Amino acid sequence: MLDLLQSILDGVLFGATYALIGIGFTLVFGVMHKLNLAYAAASIGGAYCGLLVMGLVEGAAPAWAVFLGAFLAGGVIGYLVYLTCFHFIPIASPLATLMATVGMLLLIDEIIVHVTDGMPKAYPTMFDDEMLRMGEFTLRGDLLLVFTVGVVCMAGLLLLLYRTRLGLATRAVSQQPVAARLCGIQVQRVNAATFVITGLLGGIAGALIGASVGTLSPLLTTPLTVKGLIVTVIGGLGSIPGAIIAGLLVGGVENLLQMYRGVTERDLYVMLLLFVFLVFRPGGIFAHRSGRD
Amino acid sequence: MDFYYGLAQIIGVHTLLGLSAYIVLLTGQVSLAQAGFLAIGAYSAAMLTVLAGWALVPALAVSSLLSALVACAVGFPALRVRGLILVVATLAFGEGVRLFFFNFDYQIARGGVKLGPLGGEGFRQIRYFPEHGWTTLEVMLFIWAIVAVVMAALWWFDRSRYGAVLRAVGEDELAAQSVGINLTAIKVSAMTVGGAIAGVAGGIFAHYTTHIEHTNFNILVATFAIAYPIVGGLASVFGTLAAVVFVQGFLVEGLRFLGDWRNLLFGALIVLAMNLRPHGLLDAPTLARLKRLVGR
Amino acid sequence: MNMLELKGASRHFGGVRAVDSLDLAVAEGAIFGLIGPNGSGKSTTVNLVTGLFPLTTGQICFRGADLAGVPVHRRLGLGIARTFQNIRLFGHLTVWQNLWVAQNSPEDHVRRGFFRRWLGGSAGVRAEIGELLEFAGLAAKQDELAGNLAFGEQRRLELARALAARPQLLLLDEPAAGMNAEEIGQLRERILKLRGRGVTILLVEHVMELVMGVTDRIAVLNFGQKIAEGTPAEIQADPVVRKAYLGGDVK
Repeated sequence: MLDLLQSILDGVLFGATYALIGIGFTLVFGVMHKLNLAYAAASIGGAYCGLLVMGLVEGAAPAWAVFLGAFLAGGVIGYLVYLTCFHFIPIASPLATLMATVGMLLLIDEIIVHVTDGMPKAYPTMFDDEMLRMGEFTLRGDLLLVFTVGVVCMAGLLLLLYRTRLGLATRAVSQQPVAARLCGIQVQRVNAATFVITGLLGGIAGALIGASVGTLSPLLTTPLTVKGLIVTVIGGLGSIPGAIIAGLLVGGVENLLQMYRGVTERDLYVMLLLFVFLVFRPGGIFAHRSGRD
Repeated sequence: MDFYYGLAQIIGVHTLLGLSAYIVLLTGQVSLAQAGFLAIGAYSAAMLTVLAGWALVPALAVSSLLSALVACAVGFPALRVRGLILVVATLAFGEGVRLFFFNFDYQIARGGVKLGPLGGEGFRQIRYFPEHGWTTLEVMLFIWAIVAVVMAALWWFDRSRYGAVLRAVGEDELAAQSVGINLTAIKVSAMTVGGAIAGVAGGIFAHYTTHIEHTNFNILVATFAIAYPIVGGLASVFGTLAAVVFVQGFLVEGLRFLGDWRNLLFGALIVLAMNLRPHGLLDAPTLARLKRLVGR
Repeated sequence: MNMLELKGASRHFGGVRAVDSLDLAVAEGAIFGLIGPNGSGKSTTVNLVTGLFPLTTGQICFRGADLAGVPVHRRLGLGIARTFQNIRLFGHLTVWQNLWVAQNSPEDHVRRGFFRRWLGGSAGVRAEIGELLEFAGLAAKQDELAGNLAFGEQRRLELARALAARPQLLLLDEPAAGMNAEEIGQLRERILKLRGRGVTILLVEHVMELVMGVTDRIAVLNFGQKIAEGTPAEIQADPVVRKAYLGGDVK
C-alpha cells in the first residue's frame, strides 16, 4: 500500500512536466483554435539548446544555468514555429497549418539527431541525492525540484494571463478574435506572443524532463507529444486548470501502472485512460465553454 | 530495373494509404488511425498466408474486411468528438494498435522453424511471393492493379451523389443535417471504407517487405497517411497520387544523394509546401487549369 | 389538423428564457408569420422545430405527431425543411450538387433503390433538379460553385435547396435580409407560388412589407413569449405590438 502511494506521489511530482506540455498545447488551442503538433519536439529542442549553452561555456556556469538556456531557447523556437506554421498560412486552412506543424516536428527531430549524431546526451541533474522525508513517504529531491519549478512556471503564467495587459489581450482574442481586432488588439502580435510564452514554458519542461531522467534523447519527442496531447484532451481543450490537473493525473497513473505492469504495457493503459475519458467526458475535465457554436 | 519496380511498389502502397485517409478527410474527420488499420491488415493477411496457408487474394480480402470492421467500430465513438480532439483520439488509437502488436506473440512451428509474429521482433519470413515465384515486376503490376481499381472506385464515388454528400458533411454538418443527411451513416461509412482500403494496403505491404514490425505502423506513418491527401489537395484522388509520387519519388529517392540531410529536408519541404500552397498541390483552380489543358 | 403545433414550448439556456411557454398553431396551407424585436426568440423557435435545439419543456407536434426524440435529419424526412438566416450553402459544391445532396424525401428513398440513389444520376433526378433550378432562376449557373454566386443568387439557391426534399412545411428564417425592394417583390412571388403548390410556410421575418403583404396570420414574440396573434391588419393596429417594437406609447 505504501509502495502504491509512493509511486503515485513520485508520478504526480513528475507529472508537473506533463502539465506544462499540456498547458502549451491547450493555450495555443485556446487562443488560435489550432493544434501545434511540433510543441513537444520544440520543448525537447529547447532542452538541447540549454545543453549547448552549457557546452559552450565549458563548465563555467552552474548547473541551473541549463534551465535558463532551455527557457530562452524554447521561446526562440516557439517564435520560429509561429512564423513557419501560423503567421503566413491563412486562417481558413487548418489542415495546412496542422501539416506544417508536423513538418516542423520532423525538422526539429532531425536537427537534433544531426547535431548529436543520434547519441543520447547526459543532462545535469540537481538534488538527485537529496531526499526529504515526510512521515512514511520520501520526496526525491530531483522530483521535488521538477514539481516546484513547474508550479512556479504555472503560477507565472496565470499571473501573466490574469494580471497583465498582454494576458487580457490573449484572453480577449481567444474568446472573440474578430471583436478583439476591432477593439484595436493586434491579433498577430498576441498570437506570436502566445507562441513565445508557451515556448518558454516548453523549454523549461524539456529541461525538467532531462534533469529528472538524467539523459536527453530525440526518441523522447514522440511519446511526449502523445502524452501531452492526451493530457490536453483529458483536461479539456483550452482549459489551463484542466491541463494542470490532467498532467498530474497522467503522471501519477503512469507511474503506478509502470510499477504493476512494466514499461511496455504502461503506455497501452494510458491510452485506455484517454478512451475512458473520451467515452464519458469527451469535453475533458473542464470542458471549454465557447461562446460560438 | 528492379530498383524502379521496388519504388513503384512503395508508391503504390503509399497511395492506397493516402486514399484511405482521403475518403475520411472528405467528411471533415482528420484521422490518424489509418496506420492502425494498416497494421491490422498487414498482420492478419500475413498470418493467413504464412500460418494458415491461404492464397494471397482471399487473405487480402479477409484482412481488408477485418480492418473495415475495426474501422467501423472506431467510427461510432469518433462521432462523439469533433475536430482536434478527434485527431488526438485517432492518434491514440493508432498508437494503441501499435503497442498491441508490440506485445503480440503467436508462433507456430512449421518444419522445424517457428513462424509468426513475435512481439517487438515483429513478423518475419512472410515469404509468399518468393515461394510462389513472383518476380518484382509481377508484384508491382499486382499492386498497381489494386491501386487502379481503388482509384477508379473513389473517382466514381466523387462524381456520384455519395461523393457530394461526403463533401457536404465535411463542409457544414449543421446544414447537412438540416437537408436530411444522416451524419452518422455518412461519417461511419467513410471511416469503414477508409479502413478497408488501409487493410488491403497493409496486406500487400506485409507481403512485399516480407518482414513487418510495430515500428512500421507508428505515428510518422499515420501522419504520412493524412499528409498525402492534404499536400495533394482534397479536390481529387489524383492529388493524393501526385503527393505520393512527389514525396516518395522525388523527396525520398531523388534526394537520396543528400544522404542524411535528406531527412532534414523532408520536414522543411513540408513546411514550405504548406506555406506556399495551403490547399495542396492539386487544388481546385489548378485542377481546373489542368482540365482545360487536357481539353475537357 | 394543424400542420404544426407548439404547446407550451420552452427553451431555457441557464437563466435565459429564449422561448417561454410558446403556443402556436399553423394551419395546413397557411402562410404564418413570426415577428418580434431582435432577441425575441424567433430563430430559436425555428431551431426548436427543426430539432437543432432540444426543448426544455413543452411539445412540438407535426401533423398531430409529437416530434420529441426525432433527430434533425429525420425531421426533414417527415417533411420539415428550413432556410438559414446566415446562408449555409455548401460553398465548395456546385449549384447542382447543392440541390442533389438535398434530395432526401421519403419518396426519394422508396422510388430509387439504394444504388441508384447514391451512385447514379438518373434522368428523373436531372428533371427534378432542373425544375428546382428553373424555380430559382439558376439554370444557367448549375455548374458554378455555390460560394461564387452573388448574394441574391445564394438566397435563391438556399430556398431551392430547402425545396429539394419536397417538404410539406417550410420554415423561412429571415429570407429577405439584405434584399432590395425588387428582390423582395420576387421573393413574395415565390412564396405565393409555393403556397400554390401546397406548401405550408412559417415565415420568420423583420422586413414588415414582406410579412404584412404575404401572410395570413402573424404571431408576435417578445422576450421569448407570444404577446399578440392575429391577421396582419390586427397586428398592425395592436398597441401592445407597437410598444414592444418602439419601446413606448406612440401618440
